[in-house]
Amino acid sequence: MALLKVKFDQKKRVKLAQGLWLMNWFSVLAGIIIFGLGLFLKIELRKRSDVMNNSESHFVPNSLIGVGVLSCVFNSLAGKICYDALDPAKYAKWKPWLKPYLAVCVLFNLALFLVALCCFLLRGSLESTLAHGLKNGMKFYRDTDTPGRCFMKKTIDMLQIEFKCCGNNGFRDWFEIQWISNRYLDFSSKEVKDRIKSNVDGRYLVDGVPFSCCNPNSPRPCIQYQLTNNSAHYSYDHQTEELNLWLRGCRAALLSYYSNLMNTIGAVTLLVWLFEVTITVGLRYLHTALEGMANPEDPECESEGWLLEKSVPETWKAVLESVKKLGKGNQVEAEGEDAGQAPAAG
Amino acid sequence: MAPVLPLVLPLQPRIRLAQGLWLLSWLLVLVGGLTLLCSGHLLVQLWHLGTFLAPSCPFSALPQVALAASAVALGTGLVSSGASRASLDAEQYPPWRGVLGPLLVAGTAGGGGLLVLALGLALALPGTLDTSLEEGLGSALAHYKDTEVPGRCQAKRLLDELQLRYHCCGRHGYKDWFGIQWVSNRYLDPNDHDVVDRIQSNVEGLYLIDGVPFSCCNPHSPRPCLQSQLSDPHAHPLFDPRQPNLNLWSQGCHEVLLGHLQGLASTLGNTLAVTFLLQTLVLLGLRYLQTALEGLGGVIDGEGEAQGYLFPAGLKDMLKTAWLQGAGPHRPAPGEAPPEEEPPKEGLP
Repeated sequence: MALLKVKFDQKKRVKLAQGLWLMNWFSVLAGIIIFGLGLFLKIELRKRSDVMNNSESHFVPNSLIGVGVLSCVFNSLAGKICYDALDPAKYAKWKPWLKPYLAVCVLFNLALFLVALCCFLLRGSLESTLAHGLKNGMKFYRDTDTPGRCFMKKTIDMLQIEFKCCGNNGFRDWFEIQWISNRYLDFSSKEVKDRIKSNVDGRYLVDGVPFSCCNPNSPRPCIQYQLTNNSAHYSYDHQTEELNLWLRGCRAALLSYYSNLMNTIGAVTLLVWLFEVTITVGLRYLHTALEGMANPEDPECESEGWLLEKSVPETWKAVLESVKKLGKGNQVEAEGEDAGQAPAAG
Repeated sequence: MAPVLPLVLPLQPRIRLAQGLWLLSWLLVLVGGLTLLCSGHLLVQLWHLGTFLAPSCPFSALPQVALAASAVALGTGLVSSGASRASLDAEQYPPWRGVLGPLLVAGTAGGGGLLVLALGLALALPGTLDTSLEEGLGSALAHYKDTEVPGRCQAKRLLDELQLRYHCCGRHGYKDWFGIQWVSNRYLDPNDHDVVDRIQSNVEGLYLIDGVPFSCCNPHSPRPCLQSQLSDPHAHPLFDPRQPNLNLWSQGCHEVLLGHLQGLASTLGNTLAVTFLLQTLVLLGLRYLQTALEGLGGVIDGEGEAQGYLFPAGLKDMLKTAWLQGAGPHRPAPGEAPPEEEPPKEGLP
């Protein structure tokens, strides 16, 4: 009993082949789109690799690029097959390749589904990479004289301006590190000497933040220094002031940006996966309909198309049998060899 | 009555003309689309920068006219590609015969007119940007502190975002900020001696400081940004006020915005010029094709030679004929042929 049998006459077969040809070319377009999305994600990750310690995983964009290229190749091949399917002479040369090709298609669809799932699941690893990377980035903020790290100040400043964020989890992270280089500190000033002495590590810590944390929406000019000292500024209460600086941490901002990006790409990939599954199913029907033609010379005859020749459990049993036979076949050959060698030795 | 600029067109050159015209039309569609995108982009940029231009600035007329002109060019390209495709096929051509004449007139008058107007505006209007930006930026700077005044409360945010995005400070330099009060009175402590001194030392009672807002800061600077006491060489260690180049953005917003908008306008002008050239060529080719096919009586594959021309007669003769045609119904003159017997070549009024 075949699975999901459908009767096909000449007209239906032709329509199926034409429809599949069109869908395959749309699918090539979809493959190019996935390739483009993978490339875009890779570029976005590379752009901010400085704040991710250069250790971010490029697994998702690389697999998207690979899957996009494969999709283009497979679908243009399938389009050619569908185009030739209506001409018995041309179809004859494709006949022996179709069954293995369909198996490869099924595997490809599985791979596409896994890649789509990965887009949604890789958020966690990105979060830890960002946490470490931003912490280091802020530590090296003041090292504008150290070769190899001199760009970190510019990177962090532009990041905070572009993503409207401040610090790792919030602006107080800046209070715990020395972000002003010793080169610009006046060591003869009493205030500087006091601050350095009051600290165990001899660091110059201030309750201030860099200018890039400032929020342009604030009605008053930005307050960057002495943030916890209410009396240092007129009409200022640091506990109720919300508009002065960006309140979001850069880790949350970047994570949300990349999550949205990957969720969108994952959704698009899932849609393309559904499309590909439809194409594979259609191709299977076309294959079995053409195989099932009683008289190959008569194109007008009716035939039946099905997904699987027998029902699912029977097909699974048949597959297991063929695998066992393969194993048994080796055994029989080995016994034959032994028997042959024994008389030869004996 | 000799036709103007006649061209003999046997079958093969006619086919070549039709094919070349088809290619040119699609090129016109492409370039028209590009101009459409360019003018749309300029329109969006002007909408964003609206606060920094004077309200009476005529510059916004340029992208609007360019938008209309490029839309007409796009339509002309599509129509002429259809017509040239049809002229190669005997069955498809007859419906086009009646339509082509009026379409050519509309394309030349409407499309050509709009394009010439847009080109003229692209040459003349960028000159008005200077005064308009001067006025707009000056007003924005003056109202920076008015974050409590309804109608002006956005000035601070917009100016900060402008300076952050376009990497500029003040109108012509950072010293513009020294000449205006950019700190709102609401945040000035009336009991502070320094504040009182500064206000009293000024004729208009403004609180002027030698400091700039945070948005002037340059992230490329190796030291944390210095925003206050910029003219005092002893206020900050290792700071030389004669060389603040890396600390703050050195360019003024006036120059930056002027360069940006003028660049966009010149790109738009270039694409408009290319569109104009292509549209002229396409309309000329279409006219020659139309008159040649009319000469054969609308039969496409006719082997006969036909003459294509721009106008059936010189300008003076045309005006005379048009005048007589108009006066004909009122004064039937003896010997005047009735209008129906006019040769079919007089298709274009």
